[in-house]
Amino acid sequence: MDLIGENLFYRKFDNGLKAYVLPKKNYNKVYAVYSTRYGSIDSEFVVPGTGERLKVPEGIAHFLEHKMFEMSYGNVFDKFAELGTSSNAYTNYTNTTYLFSTTTAFEESMRLLLEFVETPYFTEESVEKEKGIITQELRMYEDDPEWQVLLNLLKALYHRHPVRDDIGGTVESIQKIDVDTLYKCYNTFYHPSNMVIFVAGAVEPEKVFDLIMEHEKNKDLAPQDEIMRIYPEEPDTICKPKIDVKLSVSQPIFLMGFKDADVGYDGVELLKKEITVSLLLEVIFGRSSVVYERLYEEGLIDDRFGFSYEGQKDYGFCTIGGETRDPVKLREELIKSISEVKEKGLSREDFERVKKKYLGDFIQGLNSLDFIANSFISYYHKNINIFDYPRFLKQITFEEVSRRLYDFFDFNRMASSTVYPKE
Amino acid sequence: MMRIYIEEVGSLNNLFTRKTLDNGINLYTCSTDKFKTITICAFIHQNLEKDTATKTALLPFVLKRGSCGFPSSRLINRHLEELYGADFGGDIIKKGERQIIQFFIEMVNPRHAGAEDKILDEGLKLFKDVVLNPVTEGSGFREVYVEQEKDVLRRNIESLFNDKFNYAIERCFQEMCKDEPFSIYKYGSVSDLPEIDGENLYGYYKTVMSSSPMDIFVLGEVDEEQICEKFNRLFSFERQEKKISTSIVIKDVERERFVEEKQDVNQGKLSMGFRTGTRYGDEDFYALMVFNSILGGGPHSKLFQNVREKESLAYYAFSRLEKNKGLMLVSCGIDFNKLGKTIDIIKKQIKDIKEGRISDYEFESSRKSLINSYREAADSPPMIISLYLDGIINGVEESIEEIIAKIQRVTKEDVVRVAGKVTLDTVYFLNKK
Repeated sequence: MDLIGENLFYRKFDNGLKAYVLPKKNYNKVYAVYSTRYGSIDSEFVVPGTGERLKVPEGIAHFLEHKMFEMSYGNVFDKFAELGTSSNAYTNYTNTTYLFSTTTAFEESMRLLLEFVETPYFTEESVEKEKGIITQELRMYEDDPEWQVLLNLLKALYHRHPVRDDIGGTVESIQKIDVDTLYKCYNTFYHPSNMVIFVAGAVEPEKVFDLIMEHEKNKDLAPQDEIMRIYPEEPDTICKPKIDVKLSVSQPIFLMGFKDADVGYDGVELLKKEITVSLLLEVIFGRSSVVYERLYEEGLIDDRFGFSYEGQKDYGFCTIGGETRDPVKLREELIKSISEVKEKGLSREDFERVKKKYLGDFIQGLNSLDFIANSFISYYHKNINIFDYPRFLKQITFEEVSRRLYDFFDFNRMASSTVYPKE
Repeated sequence: MMRIYIEEVGSLNNLFTRKTLDNGINLYTCSTDKFKTITICAFIHQNLEKDTATKTALLPFVLKRGSCGFPSSRLINRHLEELYGADFGGDIIKKGERQIIQFFIEMVNPRHAGAEDKILDEGLKLFKDVVLNPVTEGSGFREVYVEQEKDVLRRNIESLFNDKFNYAIERCFQEMCKDEPFSIYKYGSVSDLPEIDGENLYGYYKTVMSSSPMDIFVLGEVDEEQICEKFNRLFSFERQEKKISTSIVIKDVERERFVEEKQDVNQGKLSMGFRTGTRYGDEDFYALMVFNSILGGGPHSKLFQNVREKESLAYYAFSRLEKNKGLMLVSCGIDFNKLGKTIDIIKKQIKDIKEGRISDYEFESSRKSLINSYREAADSPPMIISLYLDGIINGVEESIEEIIAKIQRVTKEDVVRVAGKVTLDTVYFLNKK
C-alpha cells in the first residue's frame, strides 16, 4: 500500500557527493539544499593531510556560513536575486545548510548553489566587517528569552560537550576568527564526501543528476579520509541542577530537561529511540493528557507550553516547559506528574491514539517542500532516511514506550532553567 | 545582461468557487489533489473597535475550551488525535482596521493515511460543534472557562513585552496611529478584562454569530457540491447580517515624531512608521509593492545592501507593508550609539528612490522576487487562503496570475511616483536604560 505517494531518487557521484531528488510535479516551487555535516559542535578536529589537531573559536561554523556568500565578484545573494530566486542558509549544532527556492530559474540557481558552496573566498577586510553584523545577530539573541532559557538548560545538562555553547559563539569568541582558520575549517568539512544535496519540487530527477554531474566532473578533488572529530568526554551526570537568570520579561519562562544517557548510536536505532521518547512525552504532556489539562486549569501553563526531544548520535535531551507565573510550582507539578505516571504506567489507548496523530502530522508536513527538505537534511546527518519514519512509527510497540518511561525520566539527570523578570 | 525568466504561468489550482449558503454565509471551495490535506477555514469579520476588541479576542479561546459534544479541550484534542492528528485552532487576526476571528481545521486526506473516509465528516462535525454549540451554564458561557481564558489572554497580551522584535514594531504603530482604530492591539487590552463575564460574553457571541459577515474556505480533494450541502446543513442557523465598514482611516502626516522607550536590553530596536497613501485595491498598489521590495524586501534591497552589507550596522534591516491600511514599516536591530547614523542612511535610501536612483538590478530583482513569492504562495494552503481573504476585505477579485501580470507592468516611473506619496510619520527607538 502506498500510503504517502512520494518517490525519492538517489545518485552517488565519484567524488563521494550524494544527491537526492523528490519530484513534486504539481508544485510551482523548487526547494534545494546543499548541506555539510559540520555544525557548532565540531569545534575540535584533525586537519586532514597535516595531522594538526585544531581547536577553533566558538561560533566559527556559523561565521563560515555567513562568509560563504562572499565571492571574488561580490555577494552571491545578488546573483540569486537577479534570478528572482530567494536564497538563505542556516547553521545548527550538527550541520550547515545552504538553500534556495525558485519558481522560474531552477537550473541557473542550482549551478549557482553548487558554485558558491564549492568556492571559498575570504579576505581580511570582509572577515572584519562580518564581525559587526554577527555581533548584532548575537545581541538580538541575548534579548530573546526563549533562546536564553534553552542555552542555559544545555549549560546545566552538559559539563563539557560543545552543545552547551551557543551556535553563533559569543561576541568575544568571534573576534578570534581569522582568514586562515576559516580556510582550515572549510577544507576539512566542505569536501563532497561530507556533503549532501536534496532537491524537492517541480523537477525531473535525471536532469538534476546530470546537471550536478556536469558541474562536479571538472573538479579534480582528491578523495578524503574520514574526518577526525574530537569531542570531550561527557559524563552521564548533569552539570548543575538549575540555572536562573533575570531578563526584561513580563513573566517567568521555565524549561526543564532530562539528559539522555542512552547515546552513542545513530541510524535506525536512533530514529526508533526518537519516536519512542516523543510518543512518551506526547502521552504524558500532550494536549489530550490529564496533566496538561490540570496544569492549564491551575493557571500554571497556557497553550504556549511545549516539549520536544532532540536526539543526536553523541547526545540527547528533552525539554519541557513554557511561560508560567510560578516556575517553582510548575517544576514540582511536572516532577509529580512523571512520578505518578511511573507508578501507574501508561495507557495503551493513549499510546495508540497518539501514534495516529504522529502519522497524520508527518503526512501533513509533506505539503511543505521546506519542511520536507529541512527534515530530510537533519535526519540524513544522523544516517536516517526520513521517509522511513512512517514505517518505524508503526512498528513501535506499547512495551517499548513503557520501558523507556523508566529509563529516560531519571530524576538524577534532570535540570531546569528559568528566566525571571527583572525587578 | 538581465534575462527575464518569467515563463507563462501555468494553472495554479487556486481558484475558489463562491457559493452563498441559505443564511448568507459565503462558502469558497477549491477541489485539488495537489495537497495531502483538506483545509477548512472560517473567518468572522468585525470592525476593530475599542469597545469590542477584547471581547472579540476572547471568543475563539473560550470556544476552544469545550462544546456540547466535546465539553473540554482535552476531549476535543483526544478526538483530533483519533482523526490522525487533525490540526484545529482558533485565533485572532488583524488586517487593517478589521479584527477577524479565525477557526481552522486541517485534516489528512484519508487516502494518504490508509484510513476510512470518515475523517472529513468527523472533522466537520467537531468544527461545527466547537464554533456553534459551546458549553453553557445558565444564560452564559461556563464561568470557569471564561475566567481562565481571561487570565490566559492577559498573560498573552503582556508577553508581547518578551518579544522585543515584535514589541518594537507594535509600539511604533501604536504611537503612530494613536487616535485611530489601527492602534488597538489584535488581542485588545488588559484593562477591559475585569468587566467581562460568562453571561455578557455569551450575549456578545450570539450577536457576533448572527450579524457578522462570515467566509468559509475549503481547500483540498473534496466534492464541491457535497461539501456545500454539508455546510448548508451544519451551519444552518438564523442570521441577519450587518454590513461592516470597508473604509479605513486615512491621515496625512503633520510632523515627524520621535518616541523613545528605555528597557534593560542588549540591542537597540529601531522602527520607522510611514504612511504610503496607497493601499490594496488602489491603482498604484503593485508599484508600492515594488517600491517596498526595492527599499527593504530582501538581500537585493537598499536597506540590506547599505545598512547591513556596507555599514555592518545591523544583522536584520527590512521594510514591510500593511497593505490593508497603507502603512509601511522599517525595522532593524542596532547598537545603541548608532541610532543617528542608521536613521540618516535609511532616509537617504528613500530619498534615492524618490529621486529615481534605482538601478536595473534593484528594480528587476524586486519584481522577480515578488513574482517568485506569489508563485510560491500557490504551493501553500494557508497562503492561498490568506491572499483571497485580503481580496475579500478590500473588494478586489484577482487571481495570482493577474497579480503577477500587474507586477510585470510596473515601471520605474510608477515606483518613483508612488514613492513621492510615502511620508515618514513616527520613529520609535527601544533604547537601553
